[in-house]
Amino acid sequence: MDFRNRFDVINRESQFVNPGIPICFIIPEYINKKIIDKGSKKQKEQAWKNLILTEQLRGRRLVTGLMSSMFSVSNKLDRTIFDAENTENLPGTLVRREGEKPKGAKTVSEAYDYSGSTYNFYKDVFKRNSIDTRGMKLDSTVHYGEEYNNAFWNGTQMVYGDGDGEIFQRFTKSIDVIGHELTHGVTQYEAALEYEGQAGALNESFSDVFGSLVKQYALKQRADKADWLIGAGLFTNKIKGVALRSMKEPGSAYNDPTIGKDPQPGHMKNYVNTSSDNGGVHINSGIPNRAFYLIAIELGGYAWQKAGKIWYIALTERLRESSNFQKAANITYEVAGTVYGKTSHEQNAVKKAWDQVGIKIIAMK
Amino acid sequence: MRITVERSGGLAGIRISKEMDAKDLPSALIRTAKKIAEDKKVFLIIMKSPPRGAADHFTYKISIQDGTNLRVVECNQYNIDDDLKSLVKYIEKNSKYE
Repeated sequence: MDFRNRFDVINRESQFVNPGIPICFIIPEYINKKIIDKGSKKQKEQAWKNLILTEQLRGRRLVTGLMSSMFSVSNKLDRTIFDAENTENLPGTLVRREGEKPKGAKTVSEAYDYSGSTYNFYKDVFKRNSIDTRGMKLDSTVHYGEEYNNAFWNGTQMVYGDGDGEIFQRFTKSIDVIGHELTHGVTQYEAALEYEGQAGALNESFSDVFGSLVKQYALKQRADKADWLIGAGLFTNKIKGVALRSMKEPGSAYNDPTIGKDPQPGHMKNYVNTSSDNGGVHINSGIPNRAFYLIAIELGGYAWQKAGKIWYIALTERLRESSNFQKAANITYEVAGTVYGKTSHEQNAVKKAWDQVGIKIIAMK
Repeated sequence: MRITVERSGGLAGIRISKEMDAKDLPSALIRTAKKIAEDKKVFLIIMKSPPRGAADHFTYKISIQDGTNLRVVECNQYNIDDDLKSLVKYIEKNSKYE
């Protein structure tokens, strides 16, 4: 959507601000927007702060997308890798810039190469220009913390631990994990799914889906040849498990005395109600993960071409912050109908897959 | 006094629970645990929101049982207090998995 249209959306919505909430804006919203568009750099920054405040107060999703409109657009891949030197200070020391030859530890090369693979996947398949559609720089920090058993997206960059050598190896080892983390950035700039409950599980699932597709695209693998695993090879050989998650068979990725059994359900009847992990965002993501896998297998060929396209349109154009599984099912069904035709094989595959994980499509029209 | 640290979330989403008796802690960390246990104002600290768009971060639930007195603190990697973080790290490193 052109950002000027987004402004129109905001202007229309602003008529519905609850009059009972005493919010006063000294500078009218449309003037802030005009300054962002035409003002000097300093004026733009101040106008932007004003606009963020108003948008935060109203809980809007559009503000992050608008943010990019005040910065220049780049059409080039621009990666920077930092080394936290086993501290938790971000971003750390710069170790490799875009275009520089490989240097430093293997984890530096992996973070550099696989973030490039992810950028190219989004560019080639969906014509997307980086995380924010405006060429956002891809910053990664490796060697984060001491024996750190995690990788995460902090809202502005990717961060990777080395693992403790007991349970986990370094987190840059797996291309789909890097695709997963970068996709959290894409989600942040698009549907902005809340990181809680079913919306959070969808947020996680989109990262798993596109993380897996990044790997499949890099390997030029057809759906039936892919492993549909997330984080294969991250566990040390002391752990009984093949990966963090299986999209094909949620709940089957590991079963180990130290870390327990993979708790993911693959069907709504086994949905896990929990307060931990932000309401089980990494647990219940197994349900939409399996739905995507089933569609991809049903449609055959390269999973990014049809199933991936449906999911991408849903993420970037239709889903909202608080969307739940039912909404995601309805929307992907509707998108499949729009793109491939009503009652097409593709639309029927979407319906069948959601049905197989316990979600009946409710037609919106 | 027993301290239980439950960590959830992270990319892997693996829930880990570790427990330790306060007598097995270094003296500085015993003081931290006692401070939390005795602070009448602290019962449950609800997690503040992580940065916008952030994902795959760790969340923590720290329970301190002192006789019949139970204190529970919930936080995440972005808002955990430095003293509490030292306590959590020590227990994570030096206690077996529950």
